[in-house]
Amino acid sequence: MPPTLYPRAQVKKTIKAHTGRPMSKNADIMIFLNYTLFLQELVREAAIRSKQAGDRGITAKSVRKVRNNVLRKFKA
Amino acid sequence: MSASARKKARISPPHISEGTTATETLYADLHQLSGILPTPTTPHRRAASAGPTSGGRPTPNIVIRTPGTAARTPRGGPTRHTSARRNAPTTPHAIRALRERANAARTPGLHRRRSGRVQRETPRDMLRDLSRVLARDTRPVQPSPQDRRSSRNAALDLPDVEDGPELVAPRLSMPLGDMYDDDSFHDAPPRRSLLPYLPNDVDNGTVQSLEFGRRALSEDPRMMYGTRLSERFADLNELGIEGEEYEIDGTFINRRPGLDGEELLQEDIEGMDDTTTEMRALTGRRDGRMSDVNLGVFGEVDDEDDEPTFRFTIPQRIQAPMQDERLEDLQEEPEEEPQEEVEEELEEEPQEELEEEPPEEQSEEEGGADAGLDGNVDSDEELPAPVEDPTGGIEITGWESDQEADGDADLQAYREEVSAMDRSLQTQSPERSTDHDQRPRKLRKEIKTSRIGLDYSSFNAATVKRLANGFAKSHSKTKISKDTLAALVQSTDWFFEQMGEDLKAFADHGGRKMIEESDVIAIMKRSRQITSNSTPFSLAQKMLPRELLQELRMEPAPKLKRQKRKRMERIEEEEAD
Repeated sequence: MPPTLYPRAQVKKTIKAHTGRPMSKNADIMIFLNYTLFLQELVREAAIRSKQAGDRGITAKSVRKVRNNVLRKFKA
Repeated sequence: MSASARKKARISPPHISEGTTATETLYADLHQLSGILPTPTTPHRRAASAGPTSGGRPTPNIVIRTPGTAARTPRGGPTRHTSARRNAPTTPHAIRALRERANAARTPGLHRRRSGRVQRETPRDMLRDLSRVLARDTRPVQPSPQDRRSSRNAALDLPDVEDGPELVAPRLSMPLGDMYDDDSFHDAPPRRSLLPYLPNDVDNGTVQSLEFGRRALSEDPRMMYGTRLSERFADLNELGIEGEEYEIDGTFINRRPGLDGEELLQEDIEGMDDTTTEMRALTGRRDGRMSDVNLGVFGEVDDEDDEPTFRFTIPQRIQAPMQDERLEDLQEEPEEEPQEEVEEELEEEPQEELEEEPPEEQSEEEGGADAGLDGNVDSDEELPAPVEDPTGGIEITGWESDQEADGDADLQAYREEVSAMDRSLQTQSPERSTDHDQRPRKLRKEIKTSRIGLDYSSFNAATVKRLANGFAKSHSKTKISKDTLAALVQSTDWFFEQMGEDLKAFADHGGRKMIEESDVIAIMKRSRQITSNSTPFSLAQKMLPRELLQELRMEPAPKLKRQKRKRMERIEEEEAD
């Protein structure tokens, strides 16, 4: 286990790279929260999809299949 | 009870007389009406609402317990009609049965005994009840007759209104021509089949008759999630969903890109000419492109070969030489015939794209109509970037007009560069493998460049894995494989990209430079992550580790104070000034 539970600097850096804006103090936490929700949804959908396909576990294929929908779901 | 009614009727006449002469209150009207109606006589047959009838006649819709059962009991029969004369029964059951039967015979229900009022359904009674409810000394409302008249008039006018404006005769045929109007209020054109988009004048009688599987409009994710996306996709459809047309017929391969493919292709050429942004040009065209390239990082197994491709009959290895030929052609006659080049592009490029695509998205489809559905969705979803890229404007150095100006240099660069298409084709080639060997094994060190030109590294795979493992455990025990992790990391990057754009847009809208928590919350609200049931805090409590939760909890208070202080200081300064 890494010492930090989430790479805060990385989230900040990534968002900053995409926006080019500074971020207020807790925004990154909320972003990370949103990200965890996203990942949860993604994994869930992928699990459902791969189960439907009859695969064991979550396959990359299923992830790729569902991710567009999930991304869209999280689009503002 | 009729006596009391008469009494009241006797009492009321003064009111009535007043009412009839000058002012008519509702009460008076009703009273008068009830006076006109004949006084109720006990009807032979009881009203329907009066309750269950006795006598053991079974009424189908009303549940009668006692009479029926009593009729069956040996004592029930004889006691039915002579109950009044008989002596009181001894057993409690008999007593109760008798009483109930008697009640059922005499009274329609409990109400009668309780209130002592006649409960019959005569209009007179109803009117009297109504009049009782109304206050006796209500004054007539003055404008009421006018209102009545006006309302009556309005009712009479209605047909006139309908007659008045000449209605447009309904069109019984489908307005096919209007379907593709850009300014139609449908964000997504209603017809989303695999059929290619053809101009109206083209004779597409046979094509239109083809019917592929479609998604119901209600299930269409494009309809479900927001208009903005579909706005984009509307444009993207124009750019060409290659999967569509090439599936159908070879003849459309040429025709379709001719619509607006030139710009698109030009853009592509430009993008690839730029050596530094070659990758981005690719990813710009397709979000999936980046991952195509990246997939090599995660192992020797290439999805391109792994997964069956159904729709593309042209094998990759055959396609590669074609590329080379084209490049040679370009070298021979680089700038004399840019048009020809474009045409070549038109013919070849889509196929290349198709070959690039399948590993990512489209090859996953399991053929047939299913493929059609997914193809639609996937290719649509793939596309957002290309439209935005030009707005990003960094990697696009020029458009068609510019191309002739600096065509030489670009083409030179283009020739030297192994085109991205080629690269994707040469997945097995040693060149590519060396390319990847140079890269660090871990994704996190891989530097990417965002749309606005800032570098960022791909998200930490370890974090993603840990999180995803946590989520996946609830579904299945199996661990997340390398490939899956790669896909997840890729999705993560896309997510952050999307998030970044959204945040930027929100901050812009708020007129701020700074991205604030409220922006994120607004986004989450819009994506229905935060609802009335799930507050940001409850979500945080559910999802986030305790540290972060604490921070989230602790922060807001001091933040507010700080802001206040700042404001105060500013005000003071202003005052001092």
